[in-house]
Amino acid sequence: MNDSPLNRRKFLSLTGGAALAAGLAACTGTGDDSASAPAGGSGNGSKELRLFTYEDNSTIDLVKAQVKQFDAQNGTTTTVDSLPGSGAAVYPDKLRTELLGGKGPDVWRIWGGQIGAPFVKAKQAMDLSSYYTKFGWDAKLNQAAVQGMTFDGVKGGVPFIVNGLGSWYSKAAFDKAGISAPPKSYAELEEMNAKLVAAGITPAGLGGKYGWDIMRLFEYLLEVSAGPELHDKLLTGDESWDRPEVVTAFTNFKKWQDQKWLPNGAVALDPADVELWYVQGKAAYTITGSWTEAQGIQAANKKSADFGVFTLPTGHTPERHSGFVEGYMINAKAGNPDMAAALLDFIVKPETQKALKVTSSAITGAEPDKATLPLSYEYSQSAGKQPFYTIQDQAFPKKQADQYFAVQSDVLQGKTSPADAAKKMQDVIKAWDKS
Amino acid sequence: MTTVLMPEATIATTHTPPKKAKGGLSTTVVMTLVALLWISPLVLLIITAVRPLSDFVANGPLSWPSTFTFQNFADAWNIGNFATTYRNSLILLILKVPLGVFVSAMLAYALAKLRIRFGRTIMYTVFLGLTIPIYITIVPVFVMARSAGLTDSLIGLIGPYLAFGIPFEVLVLQSFFRQLPDEILEAARIDGAGAWRIFLTIVLPLSAPALVTVFILDAVATWNEFLFALILLNSDAHKTIPVGLLNFQGQFSNNNTGLAAGILIAVVPILIAYTFLQRWIVGGLTAGASKG
Amino acid sequence: MAVLTAPRKATRKKTRHGGLVAWGFALPALLVYAGFLVYPALSSLWFSFTDWDGLSAGYNVVGLDNYTALPSDPVVRQAALNNLIWAVVTVVAPVVLGLVLAVILNGKVRGKPVLRLIFYTPAVLPLVSVASIWGWLYNPEYGAINAALRAVGLDGLAQPWLGQDSTALGATMVAAIWLRVGFPMLLYLAALQGISADLYEAATVDGATRWQQFWHITMPGLKPAHYVVIALSVIDSFKVFDLIYAMTYGGPGTATQVMGTWMYFNVFQYNQAGYGTAIAVVITVVAIAVSIPYVRSQTKEHA
Repeated sequence: MNDSPLNRRKFLSLTGGAALAAGLAACTGTGDDSASAPAGGSGNGSKELRLFTYEDNSTIDLVKAQVKQFDAQNGTTTTVDSLPGSGAAVYPDKLRTELLGGKGPDVWRIWGGQIGAPFVKAKQAMDLSSYYTKFGWDAKLNQAAVQGMTFDGVKGGVPFIVNGLGSWYSKAAFDKAGISAPPKSYAELEEMNAKLVAAGITPAGLGGKYGWDIMRLFEYLLEVSAGPELHDKLLTGDESWDRPEVVTAFTNFKKWQDQKWLPNGAVALDPADVELWYVQGKAAYTITGSWTEAQGIQAANKKSADFGVFTLPTGHTPERHSGFVEGYMINAKAGNPDMAAALLDFIVKPETQKALKVTSSAITGAEPDKATLPLSYEYSQSAGKQPFYTIQDQAFPKKQADQYFAVQSDVLQGKTSPADAAKKMQDVIKAWDKS
Repeated sequence: MTTVLMPEATIATTHTPPKKAKGGLSTTVVMTLVALLWISPLVLLIITAVRPLSDFVANGPLSWPSTFTFQNFADAWNIGNFATTYRNSLILLILKVPLGVFVSAMLAYALAKLRIRFGRTIMYTVFLGLTIPIYITIVPVFVMARSAGLTDSLIGLIGPYLAFGIPFEVLVLQSFFRQLPDEILEAARIDGAGAWRIFLTIVLPLSAPALVTVFILDAVATWNEFLFALILLNSDAHKTIPVGLLNFQGQFSNNNTGLAAGILIAVVPILIAYTFLQRWIVGGLTAGASKG
Repeated sequence: MAVLTAPRKATRKKTRHGGLVAWGFALPALLVYAGFLVYPALSSLWFSFTDWDGLSAGYNVVGLDNYTALPSDPVVRQAALNNLIWAVVTVVAPVVLGLVLAVILNGKVRGKPVLRLIFYTPAVLPLVSVASIWGWLYNPEYGAINAALRAVGLDGLAQPWLGQDSTALGATMVAAIWLRVGFPMLLYLAALQGISADLYEAATVDGATRWQQFWHITMPGLKPAHYVVIALSVIDSFKVFDLIYAMTYGGPGTATQVMGTWMYFNVFQYNQAGYGTAIAVVITVVAIAVSIPYVRSQTKEHA
């Protein structure tokens, strides 16, 4: 990261890359011609902003309407571009290319943890500490969520969503298997699974096509066997993975597949399909977030009252669940960062959050609507207030996460023993530490 | 010896076998069965397109629909913003494909018949274009488009689209052009025809099946091109069909019924066009031209 | 033999180069091609000698480190092997099937336009839909394929096709064949139009069977088409990316990683753009090497 200018020039003169030079210079701000051209989306003090997001068809109009309101109050013109899809999809590719090409958005939405981290590490996203002070965001936002947008001590983003994962289940399936109440301990959960299998019902509808989804089970098993403190140290690489607690978690993980508590061939199933199995009566429950109430249960024309949600019991205090954060970042080269920050402050106001119909807002005073989304409301008032551990696909950089998923896949297929899996994980984490 | 060499004389006597009236009944039956098997996965797509989303979410993709609806198509038309994306994709197709096929044909002609200097070097360079993974070029291409002020513009796509279509088109066309007998071109030259006249009045008409084939393949590739369109276009007003199809995705769940309907809306025109164009490949419609 | 020597003479006479006229024909395509493809590709090439993360402004030059690291990356070895298997299967099967279909659909069958449409349709579908459709078909619990196996009493063969390392690549290749048959079929159909019908009539008069006609008239007549179809298919198979990415995401684990997907993961998802670019360079070099015989055959005076 240090001797680059010289080498870059050499390279550019070799390839005669004038256009590329312009682009890279625009990103770095070190090139000769960057002074003349605005590097970010807009010029200094500009009244024009561009916001890039991944809202889908159901919410994009809400966002546009709110942004329009902001524009009306501030005399700005904000363009909203959206590219719907999930974290595994094309949105980060597009964002990265625009930033490298020197035409990035002023403000963009992004997932927290290691998905957002590279943008801050590469200094494409601005350090927002001064705006945290100016707008008093620390007081308004969920502190755990702010942590999810803090990278090596740099507040690189403003979180507005904290998605906590719970176990969403079908009451009909529980009735059929003679289960009267959700489990209170891991042992009870295992008993419950056995009852469901005996009743001919697949317990947990989870799939691992992209690695994620099925890891929600593994991280829970790890929380159970390791407990909060050790779990966190494992995630940061401060403790070795080659230890009995991890082996236990892998052993249990394999047990879930062997006992048919997971669908057959779960590692290759598309989570978008499998997550709905508890709604379809093909599985009893899944591990997911509050979005499933609107996009799963209610989208299938079913009643929330026929379903329920419980926190997976860990047997530890505090009783944590898995969670992840989404928020906004500001382009380090934004022409008018003050205005961009004002836009973010507008977005994280409780009124705006309500108008955006955010079901798991990181802002207090923006709970989901009790009448239309009773289960989400219930969740936000109970487990939603509990601390959470970072979901594993955001706890590690993508490369380590993928290696992790590969180990999980090997365990489920019986190709790696739990003990070897723990060793392999330690190698993965060690290699990450070094880099 | 003659039988082996004759096929190189590509032209002229081509025509469909006379009156296929009967015959091939058993072949027809076998082929029909194979075709049904071949197309069967698509039944899933069609069924998904004609059931309500709630039914799909409630019962999964592999169940028989409880009710049928055509509402998905109307909804998909709006969600996918097809009124706009259709227009944009069509504009691109019309601007790009004929131009691409034509300049590729010119280069192919130079390689196959004009004995261009460094022909072999050019061929290797053209192969280079086929083999390069597109992904590593997107940042430089984006930077070029930005310098030219052509991001978020259909015009900005034409350059990269042409460039990435050229290698394939050139290789196929030069292979076909090489089969044209030199005698005919030589005769025309002796009659005083220049290179351009020979190209336009002899080479192109005689190669109609190859040109149409390349045209179809290039049109399909252009219609479905996703990566450059994704990277270079931003606003809804400029998006093409494949980028518009992303509107059916969500962060946590997909509108699968809408997507299925959207895909059908997207591919049906290209299939209709193919049905018409394929007659130019095999239908003997070229016979008249070959008298040249 | 007179026939054989005649064209030779003709070509000898004009071994002189086409000169400016030829360049006039070649330049428009070459300029566009150089500007929008060769230049961006070459300017990316440099990054394979750096440790660029794909997002930061700076990087260090690391010489050939990315290249020397390739052989010791277990995923690269897996991907190279997968690519090889993939290349053999998805070249041979579609080309053979495409040839058979083209010959049949050029002959006496009814409903040819419809049949030609059906076999070409998969090639037109967006890959998102191909991945979803095959994902549903392969679903271990509810998928049509296992259902069909159970229906005919082969319960033992029903398995999670995409969900285990042993079958995932094969299952993906089946979808690839389905997808790709249309391409060789179309090119062969076009090439078949170049074979004079008189040849077949003469052969029929001589009492040659259909089989003999195929081997002695059709196959030699399609020789140039074979070259181009195989060359393009081989290159396509080396570059395979989208289908695997959409169907298996390289999984389970890394069981279906190929060089194309591994390049993508490194450049875009792992913030190892330098290393990923090195993989891209290797893919290109291998594919170019494979194309050498083809280019030589095409640039000889007479093949």
